[in-house]
Amino acid sequence: MQWSSAQLQGCIVASPDGRVDEATAEAFTEHLVSSVTLAADCAGKKLIVDLAGLDYMSSRGLRALTLAKRQADAAGVAMALARPNEVMREILAISRYDKLFAVTDTIETAI
Amino acid sequence: MLVRFWGTRGSLPVAATATIVQDKVAQALLAASGRSFADLDEARSFARNELDFATSGTFGGATTCVEIEAGDPAAGDPFIICDMGSGLRGFGLDAMRRCSEGHARTYHFFMSHLHWDHIMGFPFFVPAFDPNAHIVIHSGHEDAETALRRQQEEISFPVSFDWLRARIEFVTLKPGETYRIGAVQVEVMEQHHSHSSFGYRFTDASGKVAVFSTDSEHKLEKMEGEADVAHFFREADLVICDTMYSLADSVSMKEDWGHSSNIVAIDLCHGGRAKRLALFHHEPVYSDADIARMHAESMRYEELTREHDPLEVLCAYDGLEVQL
Ligand SMILES: [Zn+2]
Ligand SMILES: [Zn+2]
Repeated sequence: MQWSSAQLQGCIVASPDGRVDEATAEAFTEHLVSSVTLAADCAGKKLIVDLAGLDYMSSRGLRALTLAKRQADAAGVAMALARPNEVMREILAISRYDKLFAVTDTIETAI
Repeated sequence: MLVRFWGTRGSLPVAATATIVQDKVAQALLAASGRSFADLDEARSFARNELDFATSGTFGGATTCVEIEAGDPAAGDPFIICDMGSGLRGFGLDAMRRCSEGHARTYHFFMSHLHWDHIMGFPFFVPAFDPNAHIVIHSGHEDAETALRRQQEEISFPVSFDWLRARIEFVTLKPGETYRIGAVQVEVMEQHHSHSSFGYRFTDASGKVAVFSTDSEHKLEKMEGEADVAHFFREADLVICDTMYSLADSVSMKEDWGHSSNIVAIDLCHGGRAKRLALFHHEPVYSDADIARMHAESMRYEELTREHDPLEVLCAYDGLEVQL
């Protein structure tokens, strides 16, 4: 799994690449955890997970998002999901994760 | 191996109200507008083949009870039943009929756990009054007898457990062991649920496998332990899985309520390369349309996340039979 992150207007934009399944869930979780820590030190106190590079995500990835959100809530960091592809959008709807997270079409609206 | 679902609802039995039935009739009339039917059979065939299941049928409202028919009942192989929810009443009546045609009067029960929705059918289980019946209640719990006796104390039920005429035995099974019971080999897995619950893996002589795993929460903090669950489901011909909540509900509002989701069940079946999944322990507030939607979404999620052979996703309903 590829992972890059950047700072944009005081927010952390984290961009995973590939797919999140059993094999990559652990790396995905670790990256999320460090991104929350980064975001906590930024003025905007916001972590935007840019989903554009993700093919799909199984429940392992979705649940890693929940664990990260708990860590984020405790650190006063807001978390949003941006730019899911069609498959990811469907998975977020089927799992009802679109009710747990703000999901936006662009990075800008997430900021 | 034949798996027969006598009760598929979770937590509480439910029944369709007049409004619900009227809605189904109205939908059917709308779908049939302009059509005419020569007789009842033709109308019935239209209902069966051309209407969707949530309109022409119902997933039913009896609580959990699943029969596993293995071996050769005509040659004396005993009954195998998972759980004693309100669906057990219907099974008991049908079993009496089969016994009158020569079926052995031995019943092997396997209890997921002892919550009310999983034992409430036993006081209405007619074979318990048959003096020639032999009932063996297998459970991972040591307090199964206490639970069954307690629900028939005078404060709760007019007929005491001691008045039952069948020979009733209780056997405690241990996770990790393999048992030979009736015409199947049985393995047991402990699951996360209030007061604990147990899953069972049944293998018959021809190698067909059915897994019964209900009332099992797969905790966020223990995701690494899920490889064991996938292994328990390995290459099963059918996995019956608690899929009561959406994934989002199971990690938020309904966390620690002891149940799983369709999404996690599919991931675990994919992990174990199981062949078929039956969505089970349906949420009592769900309408037939809600359950049908959950089924359609589950099939779609399976398709979106599939990496190997397809997993067939069934939605259990009261009366469903699956031949393995
Ligand atoms: Zn239950
Ligand atoms: Zn329970």
